[in-house]
Amino acid sequence: MSLIKELTKGFIKENPVFIMALGLCPALAVSNSIENAIGMGGAATFVLLCSNILISLLKNFIPPKIRIPCYIVVIASFVTIVDMTMNAYLPDLHRNLGIFIPLIVVNCVILGRAEAFASRNSVLKSIFDGIGMGIGFTIALVAVAFFRELLGAGQLMGIQIFPNNYQPILVAILAPGAFLTLGLLMGLINLFKKPETD
Amino acid sequence: MGNIFTLAISAIFINNFVLTRFLGLCPYIGVSKKLDQALGMGMAVIFVMSMASTITWMIHNYLLIPFDLVYLQTIAFILTIATLVQFVEMVIQKMAPSLYKSLGVFLPLITTNCAVLGVSIININESLTFIESILHGIFAGIGFTVVLIIMAGLRERLDKSPVPESMKDLPISFILAGCMALAFLGFAGFNI
Amino acid sequence: MTYYIKLGVILFMIAAIASGVLAFVNNFTKPIIEENQRQMEIEARRTVLPQAKTFEYVEDNLPYYRGYDEEGQLVGYTFMAVGAGYSGDIQTMVGLTADYKIFSISVLIQTETPGLGANCTRPEFTNQFSGKEVDELYIDVDSGDIDNITGATITARALTNSVKKASDIIIEQTKDLSDNTKHDYSKDKETV
Repeated sequence: MSLIKELTKGFIKENPVFIMALGLCPALAVSNSIENAIGMGGAATFVLLCSNILISLLKNFIPPKIRIPCYIVVIASFVTIVDMTMNAYLPDLHRNLGIFIPLIVVNCVILGRAEAFASRNSVLKSIFDGIGMGIGFTIALVAVAFFRELLGAGQLMGIQIFPNNYQPILVAILAPGAFLTLGLLMGLINLFKKPETD
Repeated sequence: MGNIFTLAISAIFINNFVLTRFLGLCPYIGVSKKLDQALGMGMAVIFVMSMASTITWMIHNYLLIPFDLVYLQTIAFILTIATLVQFVEMVIQKMAPSLYKSLGVFLPLITTNCAVLGVSIININESLTFIESILHGIFAGIGFTVVLIIMAGLRERLDKSPVPESMKDLPISFILAGCMALAFLGFAGFNI
Repeated sequence: MTYYIKLGVILFMIAAIASGVLAFVNNFTKPIIEENQRQMEIEARRTVLPQAKTFEYVEDNLPYYRGYDEEGQLVGYTFMAVGAGYSGDIQTMVGLTADYKIFSISVLIQTETPGLGANCTRPEFTNQFSGKEVDELYIDVDSGDIDNITGATITARALTNSVKKASDIIIEQTKDLSDNTKHDYSKDKETV
């Protein structure tokens, strides 16, 4: 029961992007299409899961004084593995995500979970926490990307949704659209979270 | 000389790290509530970014390339930055305690500021020369500071404005950032 | 003191293990990445100049390939054009016929905005280049007759200008005597 809770808390209640405002850079930068958002979410989830497992296993071995450098090395290794594997098997996606793949290293969600959760909990719990937070991160990315791609290009996953004479709201897919979409989505979540304040 | 000017305009306005490249957003949103805090953070970031650009460029070109270890780039860079930040913190604490008082709290946060790792990787990706890398680090840091300070100024005023309950704090800050990005979009067409 | 040595040893061990694992993965993925890159270029060369059956690499300021048909006649050249787009370099494979007309182009690498600049890979845009003289290569905004991409003038202009610039260089490079004689020789054979 508690394991399910560890898993689902990241989806909405403790969503890393919408609620905790972590991992904002990739959430805004690669949310210009759903395809990119899923790719980034998948890569980050993999790194989060692996680093959570390893750090939870090593928690008694790593001295507290040097724990941050150790976490960084562990995370950076997994990121580099993802980077190389993606470059070999998914070169197009790798090019689209570009610099944001190595930057998963400094994604505060991952270091944050390592420090706040994996270093204090059992391996099993850390696995569920990692998957849950990763999915929550992906949900946030896809939600932002959904609106940006739909409004800015009239497409979803590269498939035309709106009729051809639809004049795309270009700004949605450019940089400002990322900020505006995320801000409005956060506001929307706040609105539903506490309806009594209305 | 013209080259330096081009690099400065490009790094500060056209390819602003925060509003165009989406780097360093966590401190941009997190430390922009008060103007003086924003100023402190900005100064610390300019300093660390220029240092990091210098050292990571040397590590890449004199260590990773000769020994064919380019695949260790991410690990090497992030460890360098973490060590650098630690070192800078100790030096400032010893040499300039008053500066440490104002910058100290921000320094540990900079390790996970993706703008610092970002500038190091962009320097390598765009194969800038040694001097260009250092300048790029400084100018990118200035660009970060400029938008951080503008944002802090806006948010201080926002405290007194009637914002709908559900939009308070974070959501309205993003809308604000969106408006700033819209303004900076005007620089995108510049061809220099 | 021994405590600090222990810390150092542990950190070093973790870093060493990490490097070992990465070296292993790198060994495994590096050939695949290089092979992908090579395949992509071979594929692109065949698409932009399909009448050529064999290609010969020529090292020059701008390296290019000469394309020959079954009878060993020179039918054209292929080369890469690189231009700075809205968000990064756009790399385009160009096929130029022996009488210096664009045969076709294929955008290989671009990181432009999806739905806007990224539409430069679509045939509606790239097909416009086919059969054009190099001197005609301008987008409509610059009073040429290549239709702009809606909302992505920077991308369209960068791509078109890069193709024109690279083509001009290739024409300059292949104009010299040895090429002319080869070309004339093949013409003679045709009339016989």
